[in-house]
Amino acid sequence: MKKWLSLALAGAFATVGMPGLALAADPIQVGVIANLTGQDVKTSVQMSRGVELAADDINAAGGINGQPIKLIVEDSEYRAQEALNAATKLYTVDKVEAAIMFGGSSLMIPVAQLAKEQGKVLLNTSSSSPKLGEYPGTLFSILPLDDILAKDLGNLVADSGAKTAAVVVPNNAFGMGVADAAAAAFKEKGGTIVETIAYTEGQPNYRADIQVLASKKPDAIITCGYGDDSRTILRTVRELGIDAPWYAAYPSILEVENKDWMNGKLSGVDNGGYSQGVGKAVLDKYKAKYNEDEVMAHVYYGYDAMMVLAEAMKKSGTDAASIAKTMPEVVKTYEGASGKIVWDDRGQRIDPPLDVITYKDGKFEITGTRN
Amino acid sequence: MLDFAIYSLTVIAIWSVLALSLNLQFGMTGLVNFGQILPFAIGCYAAGISASLGYSWWVGALAALVVAPVFSLVVILPAQRLSQDYWALITLGAAEIFRLTMLNTPSFAGGADGLNVPRFPSPTVALCVALGLFAVSFLFAQRISGSPFGRMLRVIREDEVLASTLGRNPIRYQASVSAVAWIMAAAAGLAYGHFSGYVAPTSFTVTETFIIWTAVIVGGPGRNIGVVVGAVIIQLLGVSSRFVAQWVDLPSDLIANLRLASFGLILVVMFIYRPQGLIPERREVHDVERN
Repeated sequence: MKKWLSLALAGAFATVGMPGLALAADPIQVGVIANLTGQDVKTSVQMSRGVELAADDINAAGGINGQPIKLIVEDSEYRAQEALNAATKLYTVDKVEAAIMFGGSSLMIPVAQLAKEQGKVLLNTSSSSPKLGEYPGTLFSILPLDDILAKDLGNLVADSGAKTAAVVVPNNAFGMGVADAAAAAFKEKGGTIVETIAYTEGQPNYRADIQVLASKKPDAIITCGYGDDSRTILRTVRELGIDAPWYAAYPSILEVENKDWMNGKLSGVDNGGYSQGVGKAVLDKYKAKYNEDEVMAHVYYGYDAMMVLAEAMKKSGTDAASIAKTMPEVVKTYEGASGKIVWDDRGQRIDPPLDVITYKDGKFEITGTRN
Repeated sequence: MLDFAIYSLTVIAIWSVLALSLNLQFGMTGLVNFGQILPFAIGCYAAGISASLGYSWWVGALAALVVAPVFSLVVILPAQRLSQDYWALITLGAAEIFRLTMLNTPSFAGGADGLNVPRFPSPTVALCVALGLFAVSFLFAQRISGSPFGRMLRVIREDEVLASTLGRNPIRYQASVSAVAWIMAAAAGLAYGHFSGYVAPTSFTVTETFIIWTAVIVGGPGRNIGVVVGAVIIQLLGVSSRFVAQWVDLPSDLIANLRLASFGLILVVMFIYRPQGLIPERREVHDVERN
């Protein structure tokens, strides 16, 4: 079937005289696992589109040594069992040597175990549990682990002059990781955490969780979270009349509920470097292809994951062992959409360029850098 | 492809055991258990916690098989004077309490980060364990189904008062069958923990409970072979639709939604045109004198 398709493509290109004949070779299949249904779909879809944009760029430039990239995108439904189904299919049936994945650590870790067993590569674009460091040679992270980014978040809150802060995070690995690291950094600089709220995701109302903040009157609120939940949290806080400024890890992932109320009140740290060079080009391509203005950091992570993978394939071949060996070399000279990537010896990202971004007049503006 | 077949068969075997355990309670006895994911989670967590404490796998296995029936009694005995509606609520609540407890005890159960579980040495070993567990569970469920004990379970399902007038104590039967079913589900959880290599609270939500329920309803409550067929269909639908989706040239997020929608549509059609399940329970007539 593949050969037949290749022949047909070659024939088609030859007929119309397009300069794409070089890409008529068998495609190199790359897996993408994302929660296209279930939770955090918006962010996940954007990551997947980031990968697509990179694949488009690679193919337009002649592919991997003449072979085009073909993406096989699988839905994880944000469930561990379905993530395993998707990964097993990709690794054992489609025979992909590497997959790029979006998902929480409860999905990422079992898939990392599977990848290790199968001798394949997994690129993480979303998860930041410390457990991810246990798979060197299998799992490579494009985004920094929580403790790195959240430490800067804690410092940012302390630098703002706040003496007391409350922490409001989802009760998951992401939320707790941010809460612990940010609180520790804030306290180290003399701040006091007056309340820590770890809410269970998916509730229609968070009044019972948030109510306690009204009496604590914190100078600032440290947070992180996703989409619908963050919107509901913000609405609850507004309704309760709590007016403290918000400091978030990846503020652009939050869904702002009331633009006027939130104007100038939400800021935080995000991976930097998007606004210039590669990041700017990716943003422009994204807007042009998908006709969407709200772009999240995960577009850049997806783009960088595909690019790093492709560079490693170009350099040393397409089998998983070569990819795993070459990628750490490749990133040393790679300037990505999310800035320069530095990995520790486990393949986990450290020292990322971090921007301080603030929500003003309906959009985020870069108002400083931390690194 | 063979690797994928081995993987799929392992998943099907494990979920079939879970479906059989629910069938013992709901299909045969009429106990509406909306928290059957709880004993499954106990099995997974027993494997994870024993591994995190440095014990061998069999310590986790032993713990799961002891803790699960005790939990079943703790959950079910307070409900003995209540009607079936309350059994559903109590079991649903118990499963959520367990999940949230695991989520909020990071030092013991890993919290949101979860726990690693030692994986089976190879996919073939995982398949053999899963098939072995399935064979034992199926034969055991069949044995119960055909025994006088099983017939009394059905009497209780149809009319508890009638069972009482026959001199039987319904709650004793219900407790017994629950304990057995929870051991079965805990064993499935143990196998699943060692198969996936990881346990976290997000794997035991209400969604998972309803997947088991769907398998039982689609296959045919009350009939062991029926619920196994249901489990096979549900798992195969999830897996095979990925291949179909791959042939369609549409945006991946749209395909993902269509895949889930088609899945739901098939279930709705089933419920409308074949509510008794694909392999319904046979009506049995027994001569009391001869039994």
